[in-house]
Amino acid sequence: METFNNSKPVLVLLLLPCLLLYSLISFNSSSVEAAMHTNNWAVLVCTSRFWFNYRHMANTLSLYRTVKRLGIPDERIILMLADDMACNTRNKYPAQVFNNENHRLNLYGDNVEVDYRGYEVTVENFLRVLTGRHETAVPRSKRLLSDEGSHILLYMTGHGGDEFLKFQDSEELQSHDLADAVKQMKEKHRFKELLIMVDTCQAATLFNQLQSPGVLAIGSSMKGENSYSHHLDSDVGVSVVDRFTYYTLAFFERLNIYDNASLSSLFSSYNPSWLMSTAYYRKDLYKRNLEEVPVTNFFGSVMETIHTDAAYKALSRRNSGRFEAQMSLDSVHHAERRTLMKVNDQEETHDVNPEGNKQPLQGEEGASKCPWSTFCNKFRKGENVDSLVNYGLVTMIPLLVIPTWLVR
Amino acid sequence: MAETIENSHSDEKPKPRVRPIVRFGIFLVSHSFLVSIVCFTSGVLALFLLPVLAKNTYISENALMPGSASPMLSNQHVSDGNRLVKDLTNSNLKSSETGIESHKIIAQYMLDVGAEVSFHKFHPQMNQFHPLHFFSSPDSGKIQENYSCSSYGINTVGIIRAPRGDGKEAIVLVTPYNALTSSFGEVLSLGIAYSVFSLLTQVTWLAKDIIWLVADSQFGEYAAVSAWLREYQTPKFSSMSALNAEMCPDINNLFEIEVHSMAGSKFSNSFRRAGTMTAALVLKVRDQSEQFDDTISIYAEASNGQMPNLDLINVVNYLAVHRQGLRVNVEKLWSFLNLGWLKSLGEIFESLANIAKSLNPKFKFGIPATEYVEGTAILASSLYYQALGVPTGPHGAFRDYQVDAITLEISPKFSLDKVWRNDIILRGGRLIEGVIRSVNNLLEKFHQSFFLYLLTSPSKFVSVGVYMIAFALLIAPLPMVAASLYVDSNSSSNCSKGDSSTPSAITDTDEHGITIRSWRWLNSAKLVFIVHLWGAIVSVLPYFICQIPDCSPTTSFMIWVLLSILSLLILNSVLASPFACVKASQEKEWALVKSVTISSVFIGLGLMSVINFATAEIGALLMVPMCLLARPLKLDVRAGTFRSCCRIICNLVLGHIAFPPAAFFLLKGMLDGFGSANVGGFWMWVESLWAWNSATYLFIVKATYLSWMSKADARYQRNIFNIHSKKG
Repeated sequence: METFNNSKPVLVLLLLPCLLLYSLISFNSSSVEAAMHTNNWAVLVCTSRFWFNYRHMANTLSLYRTVKRLGIPDERIILMLADDMACNTRNKYPAQVFNNENHRLNLYGDNVEVDYRGYEVTVENFLRVLTGRHETAVPRSKRLLSDEGSHILLYMTGHGGDEFLKFQDSEELQSHDLADAVKQMKEKHRFKELLIMVDTCQAATLFNQLQSPGVLAIGSSMKGENSYSHHLDSDVGVSVVDRFTYYTLAFFERLNIYDNASLSSLFSSYNPSWLMSTAYYRKDLYKRNLEEVPVTNFFGSVMETIHTDAAYKALSRRNSGRFEAQMSLDSVHHAERRTLMKVNDQEETHDVNPEGNKQPLQGEEGASKCPWSTFCNKFRKGENVDSLVNYGLVTMIPLLVIPTWLVR
Repeated sequence: MAETIENSHSDEKPKPRVRPIVRFGIFLVSHSFLVSIVCFTSGVLALFLLPVLAKNTYISENALMPGSASPMLSNQHVSDGNRLVKDLTNSNLKSSETGIESHKIIAQYMLDVGAEVSFHKFHPQMNQFHPLHFFSSPDSGKIQENYSCSSYGINTVGIIRAPRGDGKEAIVLVTPYNALTSSFGEVLSLGIAYSVFSLLTQVTWLAKDIIWLVADSQFGEYAAVSAWLREYQTPKFSSMSALNAEMCPDINNLFEIEVHSMAGSKFSNSFRRAGTMTAALVLKVRDQSEQFDDTISIYAEASNGQMPNLDLINVVNYLAVHRQGLRVNVEKLWSFLNLGWLKSLGEIFESLANIAKSLNPKFKFGIPATEYVEGTAILASSLYYQALGVPTGPHGAFRDYQVDAITLEISPKFSLDKVWRNDIILRGGRLIEGVIRSVNNLLEKFHQSFFLYLLTSPSKFVSVGVYMIAFALLIAPLPMVAASLYVDSNSSSNCSKGDSSTPSAITDTDEHGITIRSWRWLNSAKLVFIVHLWGAIVSVLPYFICQIPDCSPTTSFMIWVLLSILSLLILNSVLASPFACVKASQEKEWALVKSVTISSVFIGLGLMSVINFATAEIGALLMVPMCLLARPLKLDVRAGTFRSCCRIICNLVLGHIAFPPAAFFLLKGMLDGFGSANVGGFWMWVESLWAWNSATYLFIVKATYLSWMSKADARYQRNIFNIHSKKG
């Protein structure tokens, strides 16, 4: 009895850190999983200059048209075109760009918003867009204002090689750079899921260094393979589209905004004999089952409608938008902004949860008034370690008192 | 103390550490005879292997994309061209007094399609020989006062501005046209050019301006084009044009008529310019041809063996063969096709390649014997024209301004009836259109592909990396032989000295003697320098000779020879006499002279190969055996063995063959039969060479004195012998 009683405090003391650890882990995971898919973004990049690379611009513009058709609004598309083919003097059809020799579809119509054009398309600007580290003067329309509920489509085309992609005929983006940028995005909660689609030679090598969760990558060709153009428009005098993009577009042309085609059906639609290269996709970082993910998750903007009882529940989400804006405008008060966002996030998840997410910690989360959760909040914020230690000490005191009292 | 140190030094000396490369060098030098034979034969063999080693051409510049656009030249444009042809032939029948009428017609046509038109009148500039202007760029041209008004030419220039272009670059299309004696071929080439021109005024894809130059070829095609280019590139800010116009009322007349008659304001009296020239095409149509196909000949060699970028030739070749179904020709030496030994050599190579193929199927370097012979013929002509340094057409004028240009000569299949004429205008026009569209796609100057190459067929080439090997093998023996000769002469003199002088004398005079001996090559160098000086004088002489008025080529050649001999005698008496006082044994002396000569030849050839490879290659073929075999005749005669007799004969034959006039006659005789060769011919040839400021000319004259060198050596040695015998 004596011994048992004696061992009790020790046991409790041992249990305590375990408990703390558990809460920590569960909380972190909840913060990742909790964010719901709320918006869609697309970053479409054509990296190569010169008239004979007409097809790369046509690729990008076709993708632009497709994602727009499928519901991503213009302000959520960052379009980067390294050259201006439409106004190139060699263009037989001034101010028009075609991706097919039948010339049925002018990709460069009235409502094309090019965010980065010509020599603005650099590796630096590209990485700035991804990571959100802009100069203060950069307008909102040129920023990727995604949050942790965003699904982002990143499409790149140009000339590439083993673990690099050429920008502007003068610099290159290496796979390390890309992986680093994606990791930064992840750390800054700039996306929920990211689909990287690359149409270059040896595109698969560009994904080698990726390690952030939630990233799905597909490239037009394996290492050592070239990606080829689809056909030549003998009227314009250049190749107008690449094979990989052509068949991607062919897939999407059959779809409308309400279709439920899955990503796996897209990926399996690439026939190596048509592509003349092997499309490669990397899904080890992506947890969801590709059969269950509709393509519109990335290529369109289809939100699940959330039914709420009260009309004002959604207000908090609007608030979140406001905080976002604040965040992008003042990049100085980083930590402060983060906390704001966090608090907001939590509210948001709180709002969302009634709709029935599979969150294991829902109850715990929901009881936000409970001191335990405030503690957890404090802990997660990590604002000051001292207070944490103080809290720990304070909780220790009753624990110490109780066993001694029991023993006596 | 000092002694011990010296001792220790001397102890270390017996086994010096010689690095392997030095040892290898010593080995080569000591076996220079064998090495030089091996190197030389392999060099010649490598030269003959070049057609086998030729690679297929490929379009290296991505931007060009030849043939990716379908041609837009339609029958309507062809009929436009045909209309011009008809009008020009009619006007020629009507009035053939001056070419002004036809120039006006052309200008009117250009204006009709909306191009800017201007006339450029020029006085043909006689090609003056400037001894020191070999490598300098063409000057802006001096204003010669004493031109009569009758001797001027008129170039008609039409310019299409690219509608959306920045006007910084231009593509030039040249059609030589002699209004006085206009042949049908020339008129047809105008028709082709006009059909393309009328198309290009309508298209929306122009990024570069198009200049169509109708070059007045009554003073030669080259003169007209170069005069226009000179004006284009080096603008003069003088009142020359006004002055000329005053002097020559009829030119003034012409302009006034034009201004009045032509409604369009796009006609301009002043010289018009467009942007920097990216490329230039000279278009010609041959009058008669014996070809069974429609063929197109490409001429590419410009002055001093410069070539346009290979991509330009590739584009033309690709479009002509794969799009328009024309056969493409490159110049070849026809006489080579009938050489029996060449054919058998080709067969040997073919069978060797077959054997290699049977050993390992991966070896695929053999080409059929007929192809080999043809490749050799083209290679030889390529080498010949590059070595000559005389441009093979008006395109040469462009190369002087670093503009890539070629001449295309279309040889139609049979007589020029109506239907067929339309066909040739259509195909020729589409070819030109395709080339222009391809060049229009360029973003930079031609720079991707080769500038240094030899063609072995329109679609095969030998690049600089390959043909330099043959050349390097040829001249590799020279430094080795020079070194071995030098070493030999030094060591033999050492021995003789050691034998003759008493041991006590050595200690006293040794160091002094060594310094003297080590500088003794300066004497030989002086001799070589004198001969070079003589060569230089001989090379400058024609400049003065051509100042003498009314000289037939034969007499001027005679004057040249006489003056050359005279100058040699003078030089010999003034400068060479001190050599007679040198009392050294002849063997050593000639060896030193030879060594210095060979090293100077080596340096000369090496430098020449950088300037003009083909010249250096041919020069090396002639001079290297001569340099290696050269030996005083007297010595050989004295030796009297079979070997020395052979050597004498070889020396004499080589010495004569390599003497340029002799070589010229031999070549001419071989190629055309001996009847046509005469002394005046050589003069004309030489004249044409220096007229073109050819570096080859310098080189040939250098070859002259080098070839005489061996004989000069021999003569010199004989003199010394005589002196010695008298003394004795």
